[in-house]
Amino acid sequence: MKFNIKSGLPIFLAFIISACNNEPKKLPILGQREPIEKIVDGKTMVDTIYQTIPSFSLMNQDSVMINNDSLSKSIYVADFFFTSCPSICPIMSKNMLSLYNKYEGNEDVKFISHTIDPKHDTIPVLKKYASKLGVSSKQWHFLLGDKETVYKLAKNGYMSFTAEDNKAPGGITHSGYFLLIDKEKRIRGAYDGTDEIQVKQLMEDMDVLLNEYNTKN
Amino acid sequence: MRNYIIYSLFIVCSLATIFSACLGADSVKYQRYYADGSQVYKVHCQNCHMADGQGLAQLIPPLNDSTFLRKNRAKLACYIVYGLNDSIKINGIDYQFAMPAEKHLAPIDLAKVLTYITNSFGNKQGIFDVKEVDQNLNNCQ
Repeated sequence: MKFNIKSGLPIFLAFIISACNNEPKKLPILGQREPIEKIVDGKTMVDTIYQTIPSFSLMNQDSVMINNDSLSKSIYVADFFFTSCPSICPIMSKNMLSLYNKYEGNEDVKFISHTIDPKHDTIPVLKKYASKLGVSSKQWHFLLGDKETVYKLAKNGYMSFTAEDNKAPGGITHSGYFLLIDKEKRIRGAYDGTDEIQVKQLMEDMDVLLNEYNTKN
Repeated sequence: MRNYIIYSLFIVCSLATIFSACLGADSVKYQRYYADGSQVYKVHCQNCHMADGQGLAQLIPPLNDSTFLRKNRAKLACYIVYGLNDSIKINGIDYQFAMPAEKHLAPIDLAKVLTYITNSFGNKQGIFDVKEVDQNLNNCQ
């Protein structure tokens, strides 16, 4: 058999490209950022401050206070919903459940669902919703907070959108985003929680993010 | 005698034609209802009951309990129009979260979507006629 240089070339190129691609994939850091100058060892250095999720302290379905500290050891996925929501929430819960099922028992991963209808979604209602969904309160927190706090958190922290709207089904309109938050409380990804393909992407990105921490240690 | 055979053949043939035409009209109507019903389902039901009719965990019931659908056939239209606040037992599991009302749906749309539901997800219960829906709606509790 004669070696054909033409057929060998693409294989050779593919080998070179794959060799260059050894750097592990990293997720971008989203949100606003701001450079600051600081003096280290007498030299002026420029550092970047990234947008982070503002600290909060809200009760979950077991009446346990959840705050930034209780989330400091894990990455988490956050969304906004309400239990009586007839529009996009059930499909979001379904997709979040598929994420939960994949990472069930993994202490590095948590899930947070903020209710945006605190008048109806009291602790017992959230508790019932969680148990009927079949999820553990150790890993998936359904958080209750007064409307103003949660709406502000959505807008300023997660850059998500919620507003009351009498015309919308259920009386509240909101975006269906899943936000991926790292251990430093920075936003590392935003995905349409109603779209199966984007949720699959989120699943892959969660592995990438977890890997960042694994290689660091 | 020859004429008699020809005539009777003719009658049998025309009867068969009429019969099959009627059957055809029925199945065309069923198919139209089913196809339109799938569209109504997409807009008004799918968000909660999902594209595969499986619902969500123990929060939203699946639509594949053929026995329940058959037993409660006369109430199905009422469930959609007025919603549900009581718990219902589907496939042996209690579902307690409320189902919102869809008051704006016309009887013809109800008939179509019920035709779709009762003939999808493993169900096979034939056409749900608009007359049947009208009658059921008069008896809602």
